[in-house]
Amino acid sequence: MDPTRRGLLATAAAVTTASLAGCVGDTDAIGPYEPDGESGGATPEEMTASPDEDAVAETAIPIADDQLPVSYSLETLRGEVIDGGVPQDGIPSIDDPVFEPVADVGDRFRADDPVFGVVREGEARVYPQSILVHHEIVNDEIGGESVAVTYCPLTGTAMGFERSGVEFGVSGNLVNSNLVMYDREDESMWPQMLGTAIEGPLEAASLREFPVHWSTWSDWQAAYPESTVLTEDTGYVRDYDDDPYGMYNPSSGYYREDSDPIFEPLRTDDDEPPKRMVLGARPPEGPLSIDHETLADERLLEIDHGDATLLAVHDRSIDVGHLYRNPDGETFELEDDRLVDADGDSYEPGEAPLKRVYVYDAMWFAWTGFYPDSAHFG
Amino acid sequence: MIAVTKTLPERIRVRVRDTGQASRLAVSRLDALAVAGLVAAAYLAGYLWSTDRLSVRAGLGGSVTVVDEPLARAFERTGQLQFEPVALVDLWVVRLLVSPIDVLVGATIAGLVGLNLALAYLALVQPRSCGLGAGAGAAASVPALLSGTVCCAPVIVIALGVQVSGTLLTVLPWLLPLGVVLLLGSLVYVGGLVDTENGRRVS
Repeated sequence: MDPTRRGLLATAAAVTTASLAGCVGDTDAIGPYEPDGESGGATPEEMTASPDEDAVAETAIPIADDQLPVSYSLETLRGEVIDGGVPQDGIPSIDDPVFEPVADVGDRFRADDPVFGVVREGEARVYPQSILVHHEIVNDEIGGESVAVTYCPLTGTAMGFERSGVEFGVSGNLVNSNLVMYDREDESMWPQMLGTAIEGPLEAASLREFPVHWSTWSDWQAAYPESTVLTEDTGYVRDYDDDPYGMYNPSSGYYREDSDPIFEPLRTDDDEPPKRMVLGARPPEGPLSIDHETLADERLLEIDHGDATLLAVHDRSIDVGHLYRNPDGETFELEDDRLVDADGDSYEPGEAPLKRVYVYDAMWFAWTGFYPDSAHFG
Repeated sequence: MIAVTKTLPERIRVRVRDTGQASRLAVSRLDALAVAGLVAAAYLAGYLWSTDRLSVRAGLGGSVTVVDEPLARAFERTGQLQFEPVALVDLWVVRLLVSPIDVLVGATIAGLVGLNLALAYLALVQPRSCGLGAGAGAAASVPALLSGTVCCAPVIVIALGVQVSGTLLTVLPWLLPLGVVLLLGSLVYVGGLVDTENGRRVS
């Protein structure tokens, strides 16, 4: 949505808001964020449910060997699901994506436009945020494997899931402002950030995830010039020059760091502004988040988390963070944007000789809403 | 003289008949018809603009893109009362996402708003001896304006950045039908205030 329309609507709505006062949860939330120290209403309680073994055996969807941690009971999460105002598939997934080489893109994007990049099986793909904001899910095939590349604009999360031929769609529901996906096999409901079904035959089962990197057009095409780029030939007509929530370039509207979320989070933590981007991870020692800007400034962070020693690395080439387990406390330094170990061997920031911990970018309110006991490194 | 008290169904029937007559008067007078047409056109443009179907920007050029199987696409819902666009039309400074059903819904509401304001206009321009003041016209325009804000309430909520409660989420889908009911109600209300006998004038 262009800023003029947004401004005019907001002005016009100011009058209406008074009449909706009884319905609006927090009228003080209008405008910039103001910490109030209040928490949302949901009570955290570690998920204890386990998936139905027969359903897991029968499904074509690749299920993770280990359940991902969920900080609420499934009943609590189901009770927090809200209607996002669109019917199932009202936001249509892209099921037959069409790609073009980077060289053919021309001036379709500006240098700082956000894109989501995937490197898998030797193939590099790039998904413009301007297209995914209108579709949220791309049922794609990369390197011969069928995958779902997903994006939730309300929580600022881009995540990949293996799907083995089963398509995912947008249910139209939200929990903690996050996209609730459904699978087109048996319609289990999968909140994207949890990667775990909260309802349906596969409830309590977790998907197999893979990283989707949040970058910019100029950085990504410089780092992966052989990439192919998702085109606007999606099977639908949309105004792909118009983001209904605001703009990232520069940041405005819903994406402004100090603006409030539209829907009340499961829990509220005022330590950071609501939309500040953090790097979230869910290792066995418990969830943690790392302030993205802090990591970009420090470049390398050694993190003691529970019994684990972790190493966070900023990859300047595409402005993303990586997280590794570093159980032996190996020493690394960054030289010319490469990781160098004690023996003098050097590695790309995303290819350290350590076990990788899956991470994804998220807005602060969304991360702490889902993982209220998360440790934070900022 | 014996006072005749009408029953409720009779009173409703009379009021609906009066509204019909007033509406016919509104479209038969050039000045009232102009008010209805201008207001309806402006409202439809505003409706499409606020629901992201119409935008204005420079450098678009001229082109038309139509989806495959537009007839099937046209009936796919994207919202409570919103449907898939089947074509994207760029007219140099105007971009239009053409969703036939959205246009139909918008045009229906726009027609009601236009008729309401045309009747309000008639009520205003009639002589005061008819027992009407400016308040009648203003009162009649309130539902029309309200419907104008409720049609795009979800968009407004995003624009305003307010946190919404479950109650509002429950109410939102009903705001547009409520707006239509209010418009019909106000049409009947103001239609009964227009003196169709004295309101005619040669234009």
